[in-house]
Amino acid sequence: MIQFAGVSKSYDTDVVLKDITFTIDKGEFAYITGPSGVGKTTLLKLVYCAERPDEGAIVVAGWDLKKIKQGTIPYLRRNVGIVFQDFRLLPNKTVFDNVALALRIHDMHPQEIKEHVGEVLKEVRLKHKENILPQHLSGGEQQRVVIARAMVSKPTVFLADEPTGNLDVETSRTIMNLFRQINTRGTTVLIATHSEALYHGTGRRVLFLRDAQIEKEIVG
Amino acid sequence: MRIFLFAAETALKSVWHEKWINLLTVLSISIGLLIISAFVTITQNLDSVLKRWSKDFGLVVYLKDGLTSGEESTLRDYFMHDTDVISVKYVSREQAFEELRQTMGEQSSVLEGFESNPLPPSFELTLKSELLTPSNVERKASEIQHLNGVDEVQYGEKWLSSLSTLANIMKVVAVFLGGAIYIAIAFITYSTIKIFFYRRKDEIETLKLLGATRTFIRLPFILEGLFIGVLAGVVSSLGLFGTYSLLLNKISAFLPSISIVMVPLPLRAYIPAPLAGALMSFLGSFVAVGTIRY
Ligand SMILES: Nc1ncnc2c1ncn2[C@@H]1O[C@H](COP(=O)(O)OP(=O)(O)OP(=O)(O)O)[C@@H](O)[C@H]1O
Ligand SMILES: [Mg+2]
Repeated sequence: MIQFAGVSKSYDTDVVLKDITFTIDKGEFAYITGPSGVGKTTLLKLVYCAERPDEGAIVVAGWDLKKIKQGTIPYLRRNVGIVFQDFRLLPNKTVFDNVALALRIHDMHPQEIKEHVGEVLKEVRLKHKENILPQHLSGGEQQRVVIARAMVSKPTVFLADEPTGNLDVETSRTIMNLFRQINTRGTTVLIATHSEALYHGTGRRVLFLRDAQIEKEIVG
Repeated sequence: MRIFLFAAETALKSVWHEKWINLLTVLSISIGLLIISAFVTITQNLDSVLKRWSKDFGLVVYLKDGLTSGEESTLRDYFMHDTDVISVKYVSREQAFEELRQTMGEQSSVLEGFESNPLPPSFELTLKSELLTPSNVERKASEIQHLNGVDEVQYGEKWLSSLSTLANIMKVVAVFLGGAIYIAIAFITYSTIKIFFYRRKDEIETLKLLGATRTFIRLPFILEGLFIGVLAGVVSSLGLFGTYSLLLNKISAFLPSISIVMVPLPLRAYIPAPLAGALMSFLGSFVAVGTIRY
């Protein structure tokens, strides 16, 4: 579902990723980890075409990103649910509208949107705050809104960048359970985190990034 | 279709949300449109004056003294067969005198001093309205002037040609000014929408990352430009209607006959001018949004 072959990426002279090769199969649940600033976010951005590699080939959900046309990128992204590290919630829209936006982009019927959004907001336990603006939510609540928005369109690939950064152990566990559920529906899940607690004992693949390369791969 | 509705909703919200900047834009555009409409209206009225007066005056062909009735009817037949002339009216000496007396009203006693009727008989001709341009009328007049038995041909050459020149100048000015104003309208909307676009750069970035198509992102801005244009069109039409009615009222208080000459506001001023304004506004916003790169 996600294939990297000899991918390199630099910002000016700063080499962030060098000759990265890995494959994540359809329906897999994997982690990417490493210290802060190592390039986890950059790697995810390459998956959804927010950054382009300097070298190497990337294939996501059947799309060869080297050949993808500008006009096709939105359709790729509709298949990728993203939990952004910096949230990217729209400050002037309510929780409901922020989540609904992902479906409006899909041109879904308003009634259906209402049902789907209501459902995911229940799943992240924020149904009672649907009419509130993001800035009036706690950090953890905002994070759950972002997660809700990423899952509501039932994407084939689910990327989460530090999804539990602001959550307590209890809520983290609930969220990780949600991710597992998404995964059992057949969605490929890739989570970037520097928190060992997240992958420890899960029995899932963990890719370690260090010095611009995949240093090792372990089973969590 | 849903995308369209959602975009319209977003655009309307933005129109309201940014009401001050939008109000300013709408007012600037309406003033531009109002100037165009004013020009169209004035030109229209000049045309109307021109038409009406031409019709009233026509050509007056004064006959030489002492023509026989045979000679007179030859002339009449000639005019009747002239396809440029739509009506021929013979005014005899006596009729001319009577008309003059009626026109003078109370002062008509002056006429009693005349021993014999000094007025010549005449033919009053009305020309086809297509021919009522100064050069055509002049050509026709000189043609008739050369006929046997014709003493003099009168037509309102002075006012006709100067008014017609004025109307033509106005038309040229209206076209150039109108063109400049329409371009200015496109620029006004362009800069307003550009400001909105930059203000919402973050939001647009997020929309892109969520998989929004270009249309989804651009449509609200383009529609907002269109709404601004339409709103300005409505405002300028209302302004025009108000000003014109007021003016008509005030002027006809002094000069009752003006209402005959002044045309009711032409549809041309109400609809197409604002419509073209809305179109230019739409164009401005379209260019302002530009191409979206992912
Ligand atoms: N747009 C950019 N321009 C220049 N340098 C960048 C840009 N984006 C990221 N970098 C640099 O690339 C490196 C990797 O950044 P990245 O955000 O991928 O790290 P990360 O592993 O996600 O870190 P963290 O765990 O703190 O989120 C950093 O040194 C960062 O400064
Ligand atoms: Mg990061």
